[in-house]
Amino acid sequence: MKFFNLLQKELKELINAQMIMGFVLVMVLFFVLSSVMTDTISEAVKQEYNITISDQDDTEFTRNMLSELEKDGNHIRRIDTEGDDYAAFLKDNDLKGLVIIPKGFTESIESSDKPEIISIISMKSASMMSNLNTENSGTIEVLRKYISDSYSENLGISDDDIEFMEKPVTITEKTVVNDRWADVSASSVTGRIMLQSAILPIIIFILIIMTSQMLVNAIATEKIDKTLETLLSAPVSRTAIIGAKMLAAAIVAMLQAVVYTVGFSTLMAKSMFSVSGDMMSNMETMSDEVTNAMSEATGSLMSVSEGMTRLGLSLSIADYLLVGVQLFLTILICLSVSIMLGALVNDSKSSQTIMLPLMMAAMIPYFISLFADVNSMPMALRVLIYAIPFTHTFTAMPNLMFGHNGVFWFGIIYQLLFFLVCMFFALKLFNSDKILTVSLNFGQKSKLRKNQKQYTDE
Amino acid sequence: MEKVLEVKGLSKQYAKVLAADKVSFDISPGEIFALIGPNGAGKTTTIRMISTLLTPTDGDAIVAGYSIKKDPAKVRESITYLPDEAGAYKTMTGIGYLKFMAGLFTSDPKQMNEYIERAKSINGLGERLNDKIGSYSRGMIRKLLLSRAVMNRPKLAILDEPTSGLDVLNAIEIRKTIKRLAAEEKMSFLLSSHNMLEIEFVSDRVGIIAKGHLLVTGATAELKERYNAENLEEVFERVVKDNEIL
Ligand SMILES: Nc1ncnc2c1ncn2[C@@H]1O[C@H](COP(=O)(O)OP(=O)(O)O)[C@@H](O)[C@H]1O
Ligand SMILES: [Mg+2]
Repeated sequence: MKFFNLLQKELKELINAQMIMGFVLVMVLFFVLSSVMTDTISEAVKQEYNITISDQDDTEFTRNMLSELEKDGNHIRRIDTEGDDYAAFLKDNDLKGLVIIPKGFTESIESSDKPEIISIISMKSASMMSNLNTENSGTIEVLRKYISDSYSENLGISDDDIEFMEKPVTITEKTVVNDRWADVSASSVTGRIMLQSAILPIIIFILIIMTSQMLVNAIATEKIDKTLETLLSAPVSRTAIIGAKMLAAAIVAMLQAVVYTVGFSTLMAKSMFSVSGDMMSNMETMSDEVTNAMSEATGSLMSVSEGMTRLGLSLSIADYLLVGVQLFLTILICLSVSIMLGALVNDSKSSQTIMLPLMMAAMIPYFISLFADVNSMPMALRVLIYAIPFTHTFTAMPNLMFGHNGVFWFGIIYQLLFFLVCMFFALKLFNSDKILTVSLNFGQKSKLRKNQKQYTDE
Repeated sequence: MEKVLEVKGLSKQYAKVLAADKVSFDISPGEIFALIGPNGAGKTTTIRMISTLLTPTDGDAIVAGYSIKKDPAKVRESITYLPDEAGAYKTMTGIGYLKFMAGLFTSDPKQMNEYIERAKSINGLGERLNDKIGSYSRGMIRKLLLSRAVMNRPKLAILDEPTSGLDVLNAIEIRKTIKRLAAEEKMSFLLSSHNMLEIEFVSDRVGIIAKGHLLVTGATAELKERYNAENLEEVFERVVKDNEIL
């Protein structure tokens, strides 16, 4: 009954305007992020079809070449350019990429010289997504094919000969995961996993930070306002006091986790549908079609999702449950650590500073999981990174996917132990007078010194 | 009559400071006792030990028959504590706060209602109780907290600097309330104050504390006579000189 009273109060304190604001902010962020991704990708896909060509040579041969290309279903936009002020061409026509057929092109072909095609790409940033837009390779490949066709006609060489010369060997890509294999390229599998599991790390990261900040603030405010002293002198058990605080924070965190997961995966699903449906097939057919068009090797490739199932890379319901359990453990660790950190705070400024270690403990494994594989790092580094309990949460999904079950279970046990140890110390802290006497002041004037100053003033 | 509080040689050694050095005094039912002394004298430390928030490094205190060392849970059932410069949950309404606090002292809904009604009649905040505490003035918060501290008629209400930081009118109101509750309802109070002039109006007996030492205890009138002083401030000055404390 008294516990319920406490829990109710903690929940009311946590679910306030500030929390709802943060909630909305994160959702907006997700939304913007996913629609930016959708937009750039679908734009990139569209751009691949839209070939912009400036035909400076303008001969019968080039005109024929372009109209042939159009017959094949390519949308060609022609623009007129003169000279070599390439930057101005892009700027004036608002283009990201342009292919120029320079003067003398037809002459070169007729005299059997190697003709030249100029490919111009505007580079605005080094980001992967933004450079998707500016691929001219599709256009060039199509041109190359047309030109080699006309050469073969001129020189009387058969298509087969050319194909053989260009690709003397057929490369069939297979990917092996543990002891299974499938007819998919490793790069397309990586692409799919990246997209799929981009969701989880972001959610984990946000959850760790928000949950911890929530509880640290809750305890710090009680310390600063001295409502904590009032609570601790009331006839309720201290375990009930911490229990209520932790449970309330856990409920709010889980609520957020569910909403974020559902919200974000619907958004992702939407963009996957519009993009991946397009993009995955396009990226693949595009590059494959274009680069492999002549090799005819495309026929044997299976779809990426089919391939992933074959490789054992899709997660079962049980796997998702395990990931859920780990997420719960992670939140428990956050809560027990935050309780202790909150106890160290004596003023509102230090409640931000005190978050730093937790922030780092979440940030390091987050970025590492994005850019590197912990399991293939040198032993010492791996131990160091896996010593951060949150690392196991970030690596849970890939570890389950790739069958590193040992590492996964070690992670669960490690996190459980870590939580129990933290909880033990948190309870100890609350049951002793340390909760009121420990403090970190980060070099600021402490309350005690202020008191003494007043004393000498009087 | 049995004492509500017996403090026996209570000491607290912090890392560097000996904040309370063998402090002993007692309080009878219906009595208002005030610990007076300058800032940093050890009043809050002593009060927190009695409120079971700090563990003494030596000595003991018996509250309503229970030892703060052996039976802290029982002690908490007999006291209420109002910390120095305390605030309340800003997002709660005044009435919400009273309900929450009442729920910590009893699980019986009828009794809870009694507590809340009593607090309402004591703090006189009326309609403002429906507003968020964040919108309250200092004086209003103090009145709310005082009414909360006495709503369940504890055997001993412990109030650390109950009037500090308040304007004169609010301070007078708080003092009047404390006096009335002791006189009419025989409640016992342990107060502290660094304002020695003001405390004369409230307390029956005072203890003068400086640098962790409780130097003298006695009724206000008796002390003034003993030290041939006009007021408690002068008493303090002489006591400190006699003991060569400062
Ligand atoms: N948590 C603490 N850690 C170390 N020293 C403290 C702590 N709290 C108070 N003190 C010191 O103990 C002495 C008494 O402080 P306090 O009991 O707060 O005095 P008062 O309430 O009379 O102003 C002061 O010198 C103060 O600096
Ligand atoms: Mg004090």
